[in-house]
Amino acid sequence: MSIHSALRCCALLASLLAVGCAKEESSDQGATTAAKTTEKVVIYNWTEYIPAAVLEQFTEETGIEVEYATYESNEAMYAKLKLLNGSGYDIVVPSTYYLEKMRNEGLLQPIQKDKLQNYGNLDSTMLNKSYDPNNDYSVPYLWGSTAIAVNTQDIDPNTITQWSDLWKPELSGKLMIMDDVRDIMAVGLTVAGYKDNTTSEEEVQAGYEALKELWPSIKVINSDSPKTPLIQGNASVGVMWNGEAYMAQQEMGSIAFIYPSDGAILWVDSFVIPKGASNVDNAHRFIDFMLRAESAKAAIEELGYAAPNTAAKDLLDDELKNNKIIFPDAEDIARGTIHQDLGESVLLYEKYWEMLKAGR
Amino acid sequence: MIRIFKWGYLSLILALIYLPIAVLIVNSFNAAKYGNKWGGFSLQWYQKLFNNDALIEAALNSLTVSIVAASVATVIGTLAAVALHRYDFKGKGLLSSMVFVAMLTPEIVMAIALLIVFITLGISLGFVSLVIAHITFCLPFVIIAVYSRIKDFDMRMLSAAKDLGANELRTFWEVILPLILPAVLSGWLLSFTLSLDDVIVSAFVTGPSYEILPLKVYSMVKVGVSPEVNAISTLLLGISLVLVVVSQLLIKKDH
Repeated sequence: MSIHSALRCCALLASLLAVGCAKEESSDQGATTAAKTTEKVVIYNWTEYIPAAVLEQFTEETGIEVEYATYESNEAMYAKLKLLNGSGYDIVVPSTYYLEKMRNEGLLQPIQKDKLQNYGNLDSTMLNKSYDPNNDYSVPYLWGSTAIAVNTQDIDPNTITQWSDLWKPELSGKLMIMDDVRDIMAVGLTVAGYKDNTTSEEEVQAGYEALKELWPSIKVINSDSPKTPLIQGNASVGVMWNGEAYMAQQEMGSIAFIYPSDGAILWVDSFVIPKGASNVDNAHRFIDFMLRAESAKAAIEELGYAAPNTAAKDLLDDELKNNKIIFPDAEDIARGTIHQDLGESVLLYEKYWEMLKAGR
Repeated sequence: MIRIFKWGYLSLILALIYLPIAVLIVNSFNAAKYGNKWGGFSLQWYQKLFNNDALIEAALNSLTVSIVAASVATVIGTLAAVALHRYDFKGKGLLSSMVFVAMLTPEIVMAIALLIVFITLGISLGFVSLVIAHITFCLPFVIIAVYSRIKDFDMRMLSAAKDLGANELRTFWEVILPLILPAVLSGWLLSFTLSLDDVIVSAFVTGPSYEILPLKVYSMVKVGVSPEVNAISTLLLGISLVLVVVSQLLIKKDH
């Protein structure tokens, strides 16, 4: 048999196989969905944002299979859910302002709190926020903040107490920020003396002017892994998420995290049920499972973000419980600001943000 | 002097291409988590990877989709290229320019368009929709690779085949296919790579029951990309290398 005919046979076989595979896959996919319709819950979330062990335990206890699909930004999640008109997924985990947007657009269905026995575990300071008064549509899962991480070997942490301290000339060339329009514009607005979430063009422009002065001192812009420049010594001060700062602190002890006195930026990721969900009961059972103290504890320990779950906090080691990076003081929380959905006005923020990045 | 410059230039380009990959491979054996320093040789990330069922499953899903999509796209694309070259039919010009349009369409546009088509046709999102989408964006690359090869070959061969009594099918099988085989193989490889690392289209057209690797890796930004990703990337690189080497050997043996 010549190499030609051998190759040709291979090609033919491969194509036949391909068609065969496709058929087989589709048929057994059909079979599994049919068998599982009553016994699964479909979660749409960031990769590894719920500990694998917790998911396994849920399946073991309830017999409900977990299908875990992932998205890489709130924007992508929203676009897909909007196109699917809120169907296909039973649980999604949007951040505050996307939650508000989805709620306003009728993409969500109300949470039936009578099905959640462990709802009482939740910390009341993280409930009834402006993005979802009464928590009719959402149950908070994890929350965190954007504030200032400092390498204390390089910079005395006592010299930084508020956002405007980042403008100090001695920090020039040592600064890292995240590529996040809402977070960084909020910093600019605070320093300019205005509030985050404003929709007035003059105020946003004032925030932009403030940031423009800061711009030359910025050395790194990084959103994928903001802790890395700090660990590698490329930057000494970074505007970043507390979970990232916590991980950096595990790696090198000299990292301090400062909650500015004029208010850190807080975010909350919450469980919601899209309006077209097909396993609503299972979704409630899953949320209830996640509200258990043990599940929330596992999430805090693995991810380094705080769960607003008082029962879980009691179970934690003292070291973790007293870590100010994960659990800031009540005053710091009270001073914090939360992003709201701005509707069309978000374009204002985008416009000035793009101008900053383009160096204009 | 010129020689030194030539080699220096060449090595610079090769270093730019391969250094990041080398760093990734080295880091997959690095005991330190953040890859900023060498923490000693370790296989712990591979060990962790083999316990991470979700990541392994996503990688296998990715390979399945890429192989199926690349194979189907190659068959359809090769036939299309032959047809575009050999036959005259109505709308041929339109069809060949549409191939370029499909190639130039921004991925996000194609992603949303495909999703809307699937929703309208009631095709459930998962393996099938993913494969259809991948075939769609791989197809133009195969057609162009094969077409440029066909264009150059001696048309008299076809007349000769006809003269000797070969029918259309036999001409294709015994004359055309052997001559264009290298192009067909490179079309397959190109499709395979395109399909394997696609994120944007896949994010929109896949369903919850079918997760693929690139999507999983991108979605790790929230909690940080874990070093297991270095390990699985190294393994995938190994598989791709084997594929390339095998195909090159086959082509070489042929000539």
